[in-house]
Amino acid sequence: MHPVIRFDNVVKIYPLKAGDVVALDHLSFEVEQGEFVTIMGPSGSGKSTCLTHMGCLDSPTAGDIYISGIATKNMTDDQLTELRRDRIGFIFQYFNLFPLLNVIENVTFPQMLKTGGKVDPKKAKEVLAAVDLPEKLFTHNPTELSGGQQQRVAIARALVNDPDILLCDEPTGNLDSKTGKSIMELMKTLHEKGRTIIMVTHDPNNAQYSERTIRIVDGRLAA
Amino acid sequence: MSMIFFEFAKRNIRIHPLRSALAMLGIIIGVVAIASMGILGNSMVLSISDSLSSVGNTVTVTPNSGSGGMGPGGGGGSGSTGSLKVSEYQFNEIQRLVAPSTAIAVYSTSDRMKFGTENTAASMTALAQDDIKDLIPESDIQEGTYPKGSSGSCMVGYKLAEEKNLQVGSRIQVGEDGARGTLRVVGIIAERGMSFDISTDNAVIVTSDWYENAYGISGEYDEVIVKVKDPQTTASVKATLEKKFNTRDNKVFTITDSQATLADIYSTFDSVSLFVTAIGGIALLVAGISILNIMMMSVTERTREIGIMRSIGAKKKEVMSMFLYEAAMLGILGSIVGGILSILGGYAVSMMMLQTTKYLFISENILYIFESIAFGVLICIVCGILPAWKAANLSPLEALRHE
Repeated sequence: MHPVIRFDNVVKIYPLKAGDVVALDHLSFEVEQGEFVTIMGPSGSGKSTCLTHMGCLDSPTAGDIYISGIATKNMTDDQLTELRRDRIGFIFQYFNLFPLLNVIENVTFPQMLKTGGKVDPKKAKEVLAAVDLPEKLFTHNPTELSGGQQQRVAIARALVNDPDILLCDEPTGNLDSKTGKSIMELMKTLHEKGRTIIMVTHDPNNAQYSERTIRIVDGRLAA
Repeated sequence: MSMIFFEFAKRNIRIHPLRSALAMLGIIIGVVAIASMGILGNSMVLSISDSLSSVGNTVTVTPNSGSGGMGPGGGGGSGSTGSLKVSEYQFNEIQRLVAPSTAIAVYSTSDRMKFGTENTAASMTALAQDDIKDLIPESDIQEGTYPKGSSGSCMVGYKLAEEKNLQVGSRIQVGEDGARGTLRVVGIIAERGMSFDISTDNAVIVTSDWYENAYGISGEYDEVIVKVKDPQTTASVKATLEKKFNTRDNKVFTITDSQATLADIYSTFDSVSLFVTAIGGIALLVAGISILNIMMMSVTERTREIGIMRSIGAKKKEVMSMFLYEAAMLGILGSIVGGILSILGGYAVSMMMLQTTKYLFISENILYIFESIAFGVLICIVCGILPAWKAANLSPLEALRHE
């Protein structure tokens, strides 16, 4: 069985006027199916760059990245987009819901992208139930929800296409500690149900929910 | 492709009502301008066409001022005014050549005339009694009847009658101190406007019998008008006369074909029509640029939204479609409203410029409205391409980081 994520000597250099910045420096690691992994590191260590590469939002300067055994190196933009759509679920710090769409439309949006417009409302309700969002909120607009509720909708949206991996970028960074804790409990529950979760955070309390922590310093794995 | 992007476009227009309305306003103005100008131009052509179509079968033959005298078969001399003339022989030749069409000999002069107490110069046209009826149909008579014989009856054009206060029964002394005789007005000719045969609005029309007596001339005509039976053969009639009377070295007559002149006039009006429509087109182009500007703003405002879409699996073409839907919706709504308003615009400009709206609802003008709507939509979509392309090609990562 392939690891869901494999980084093989990944290098990312940002060429800047002031000089090149090496964000990832021959980074290699693997994440297995069903793992809950936290990536930690100080500011500027490369952890966010690592996440954007795992999410196929950026391409490495050198090295190879494999998602569920598929090499991403020579993929076209459309192929990478399909990979994101079908195999990766994103959970952002700022929720990133569409204010023009209501809760159920936000959740079914990735479904529509995948099927070309067909919606499976049963599946959408199922994932919304899994994130404990009350049904009465389904037709509300995101702006009418609390931060915690918005993040639950964002998690439901990430789950709706049954992705191989959930990539979380500081999922509690914009929430109070109590709400943040409830979101982390939800993550733990999802992991217990078999989801593979990779979370970038600087909060050690959140890291306690994961099975394994990868520490990155200066673009490399810390010893 | 998912209709969700259409829904996004629709809702985005709805949540920015003022901005969308302003964008549409530009399109509305552009479509109204282009359609109204098109309708005006087309109506102008039709109006001219209507007033000139009845004379589309005329060939006029006038002595060529550069020929130095009468041509082949001449025999003519100088006329009463000392200018070039068409001789009786030439007239008979013309008659023979154009048969079965009709050739009409015309005398025309300008002389002193006394209208009541006012003594002034006026133009006079003389035709055979029957020819007057051929050239001036009864429907063109405002009042009275046709002049007859050599007794000194005449018709006057409506303008001359208005200016000199002439009525049926009025008398006109012709020549210095009435030396040529006195005419009695028996008919007033209604407005005929521009004409290829004889201009009547400012003229006195008499019979050639009276004219020949009064001026002491005969068979020295100033012009011959050929009324071609089949208007399709006007050009060939002209060619026949050219061949007979004009050679490369000696051009006896100037022969004018009204069809060719009409074609020139139509061509000129078509150019004017195209020009005014182009002005409307520029207005629409400006509106399109405002759409482009607004869509560019929209892309900048929605960069993060685009980033989210791309990160969760929207393809470039899907993002592009969303902005094109938006541009198309603005274009369709604005153009349809503009199309409806352009009927009012067309009505207004037709009333102002032509004093009639009888051409407003003809198929060509309705087609103009539909073409303007289509052009408006097309301009909007074309102007939406660049912002849509820009949106689609944003880096998902950069777009996500956009504040």
